[in-house]
Amino acid sequence: MLLNYFKIAFRNLLKSKGFSVINITGLSIGMASAILIILWINHEVQYDQFHEKKDRIYEAWNRSTFSNKLQSWNTTPKILAKAMQQDLPEVEKTARVNWQDNYLLTVGEKSVAIDGNVVDSTFLDVFSFPLSKGNVATALQDPHSMVITEKLARNLFGDENPMGKIVKLNNSENFTVTGVAKDLPDNSRFKFEFLIPWAYQRTIGNDDENWGNNSTRTYVLLKQNASFDAAQQKMKGMRKKYDPSEPEGEMFLYPISRWRLYSSFENGVESGGLIEFVRIFCSIAFFILLIACINFMNLSTARSEKRAKEVGIRKVVGAQKGNLIAQFLGESVLIALIAGLLSLMIVQLSLPAFNNLTRKHLIVDYSSMSFWLAFLSFVILTGVIAGSYPAFYLSSFRPTSVLKGTFRKIRALVTPRKVLVVVQFSFAIILIMSTIVVRKQLKHAQDRQTGYEKDNLGYHFLTGDLEKNYLLVKQELLASGIASSVSKTSAPLTEGWSDSWGFEWAGKAPGDKTDFDRFCVDESLAKTAGLQLVKGRDFDLQQFPTDSLAILLNESAAKAMGFKDPIGQLIRDNGKEWHVVGVFRDFILHSPFYPTRPMVVEGAKGWFNVIHMKLNGNNGMAANLKNMEQIFKKYNPAYPFDFKFVDEEYANKFEDEKRIATLSGLFAALTIFISCLGLFGLATYMTSTRVKEIGVRKVLGASVGSITSLLSKDFIKLVAVSFVIAAPIAWYAMSKWLDDYPYRTALEWWLFAIAGLLALMIALVTVSFQAIKAAIANPVHSLRSE
Amino acid sequence: MIKITGLEKIYRTEEVETVALNKLSFEVKEGEFVAVMGPSGCGKSTLLNILGLLDDPDAGSFLFNGIEVAKFNERKRADLRKHNIGFVFQSFNLIDELTVFENVELPLIYTGVKTSERKKIVENVLDKMQIMHRRNHYPQQLSGGQQQRVAVARAVVNNPKLILADEPTGNLDSSNGNEVMQLLTDLNEQGTTIIMVTHSEHDARYSHRVIRMLDGQTVMENIMA
Ligand SMILES: Nc1ncnc2c1ncn2[C@@H]1O[C@H](COP(=O)(O)OP(=O)(O)OP(=O)(O)O)[C@@H](O)[C@H]1O
Ligand SMILES: [Mg+2]
Repeated sequence: MLLNYFKIAFRNLLKSKGFSVINITGLSIGMASAILIILWINHEVQYDQFHEKKDRIYEAWNRSTFSNKLQSWNTTPKILAKAMQQDLPEVEKTARVNWQDNYLLTVGEKSVAIDGNVVDSTFLDVFSFPLSKGNVATALQDPHSMVITEKLARNLFGDENPMGKIVKLNNSENFTVTGVAKDLPDNSRFKFEFLIPWAYQRTIGNDDENWGNNSTRTYVLLKQNASFDAAQQKMKGMRKKYDPSEPEGEMFLYPISRWRLYSSFENGVESGGLIEFVRIFCSIAFFILLIACINFMNLSTARSEKRAKEVGIRKVVGAQKGNLIAQFLGESVLIALIAGLLSLMIVQLSLPAFNNLTRKHLIVDYSSMSFWLAFLSFVILTGVIAGSYPAFYLSSFRPTSVLKGTFRKIRALVTPRKVLVVVQFSFAIILIMSTIVVRKQLKHAQDRQTGYEKDNLGYHFLTGDLEKNYLLVKQELLASGIASSVSKTSAPLTEGWSDSWGFEWAGKAPGDKTDFDRFCVDESLAKTAGLQLVKGRDFDLQQFPTDSLAILLNESAAKAMGFKDPIGQLIRDNGKEWHVVGVFRDFILHSPFYPTRPMVVEGAKGWFNVIHMKLNGNNGMAANLKNMEQIFKKYNPAYPFDFKFVDEEYANKFEDEKRIATLSGLFAALTIFISCLGLFGLATYMTSTRVKEIGVRKVLGASVGSITSLLSKDFIKLVAVSFVIAAPIAWYAMSKWLDDYPYRTALEWWLFAIAGLLALMIALVTVSFQAIKAAIANPVHSLRSE
Repeated sequence: MIKITGLEKIYRTEEVETVALNKLSFEVKEGEFVAVMGPSGCGKSTLLNILGLLDDPDAGSFLFNGIEVAKFNERKRADLRKHNIGFVFQSFNLIDELTVFENVELPLIYTGVKTSERKKIVENVLDKMQIMHRRNHYPQQLSGGQQQRVAVARAVVNNPKLILADEPTGNLDSSNGNEVMQLLTDLNEQGTTIIMVTHSEHDARYSHRVIRMLDGQTVMENIMA
């Protein structure tokens, strides 16, 4: 019976080629999009799920109230691990991990700057990063031992055995390679290329027991069968017990299964996180697939008159309704299978671009059995969704009427087919509208005044000897005419690294916990960055040596501190007294989508990590870079020259929004394309059934224009209805999205009008192509064909 | 075998109500060959559809082999039909996408006969109908007479007890028509009950008995000599 179904299905496919091509194209594009999205979702859901002990691994978190809000964060005191081992009998092991940092590794002549972590020796035991060489239990015992990944091993040692080899860290201390880890899976929160032991921290005196210094992450492995609730209960009071400065603070254990997708906290409770994206993408995948399935439904039912006779005959010779449903589902599954195989090709071809867009390294594992099982279920599911409605529709035909030829299509006001077209176009219009709004918001933020001059402005981190040789470097940069102004700062201009509500000034209201961004610069920040001073002057150590204790405020800070005349005011911070010498116009330090915050810039007595310079634009960038590199190499030979341009770094702030814009544009285009494919098929079919009517009308004197509009107007009405449905949904969704951006563009009605017109035009072009073709055909032919 | 009493079928559309069958009663015995005649629109096809369990009556009783089937649901009707009844239509009603062999095979598929057995049965029937040489052709490639022979082959392939034929010769010339009538007569002689709708007095002569209808009622029954 199955064979018979497939035979008929195949012959039908070949017989109506146009129909098959439209269906298979639409379905394969829809399926390919869904597969790509599912790959992404699968990747996210599997994040850090490869650890064998994952059910027992937790991360220590804090919870405390700041400015009336319950905040949650995961940096902990270094001493916490020890305290937990003492107080929590449920704990089997703890593993501390310091924030990943960039280090310079040197082997012989070869130096690479690469990311690594300082971890407890238990790290490899708690987490599953298997070693291809070395022993998990002992690899990180010695303070100067080092575990490197296979990738780094190849990079540093080529084909030689790395075990026992010496690596110099940050141009100072030597480490011995004691283990080689398999390369890390892509979907882990840990991204290290090498590990060095916590014991080393201790040898360099970097292992304080201060509960106020919250700078490390603490992971715990609970004992098998230990009660998580009991551990959680004891965990809660840890802060109170050991840290008298924070009597309100609480701690809690956070399970590994929720790290990736849920770890966004609001008021002390989970408030979503990546899971929201996963959900949005899930529904987009479903909708694109549905839209492709709708094409199949519509074209199948539109062609139903052609199949009606077959249904009638089969029923007469004994087919049950169930037999026929099975047959039609078989056909749609066959089409889905062909489309599915095609979609795998599309996936294969588009995966590099998709990876680029999502910044992932997704792959399809064709050798895995579970992949093919999933693929097959996906194909069957698609086939069943696409085929269900036509199957029930077709199989319910009554043989007595279809065989007698009284079977006629219904011309109802609302047919399922129309509803389905409206669903397709509503979704397409929603996506078009979203794309337009996302792009407008992006443009809005990109057009925002940064507050400083980005061109020819760049920076370099004060790596190695640069801090020591800063003045020499600065002098040479200025003397050689490469740079017109040089300043060292605490952080890049595009990043806020420090903030505090601990500033004190005359007239500060008691209990005022206004948070200020804290930035440091030695001198001439306004000149280097091109800030606009509204009051006072820039730092100038030549003229005013006391400027090493001077402070600049931005306008927001001057206002927040309530100064009528800020110049000369004294501000205490970090045990020092600073005097205000100038006020500058706010510039964007953090996100261009947020309002600027009050900011305090401290002078040369601050701390420094970065050298900023305004390059001389007359020299040509290539020459500047080349000459700069020579100077940097001269004063800091061990470290690579890694110059960054502020405008490029600033542009990175829009990455997320750009990606959303690209993705929504892509989805909109795909949806429109698949919908139009279906519309084209429908229009072709509709006009073909009205050939005689068109002929008669033309003979009676109808013009091409009037016939075209006669044939197109039904479809255009559907698009109009879709617009009416889509507009409020898109409006609501987009105002929700924009709500997340304090600095946002306005939603205007004409944006929606544009989206509607666009959809209408695309639909019109699609439909009228067939309509015009039918309208200009010579009626003599169409009438003779009857 | 068939006993109908007071059978009614009324078609309702928005404007009109057509009484297609009006309290119709008659009986057909096993092994009979009955012709149904009457002017166009008198309800012959309607009657055949009900007898063939393709449609249900609005009122009245329909005993099939002593079982009341008038109120059967679609599922049960289909079940009864596929084992007991074969159809022949004026317009052949073959599936264009299937070959001669596959068309004839179709009823066997729905009654669940095994593939190897199907092949034997179908070949046997095709042989009898003398269209074996056309087994791999599609219906469009056959003449009207050949197509009707395929249709008859399909109707008998399941060995039904009853064959219903609605103007089986209506689309055929007289020589092809006679051939089909001969086929039906042969089947009848082998024991199959046949009820045939026809407009042709010539064809009616092949039957044992003619039921004449007018406006949904039987007006006369005459036994053929
Ligand atoms: N589906 C239907 N809807 C409405 N009326 C119907 C339907 N089918 C049949 N009729 C009406 O019922 C009556 C009987 O129709 P039927 O097809 O049984 O006639 P017939 O005797 O077979 O005619 P013919 O010799 O032309 O085939 C006719 O008046 C017809 O118009
Ligand atoms: Mg009739």
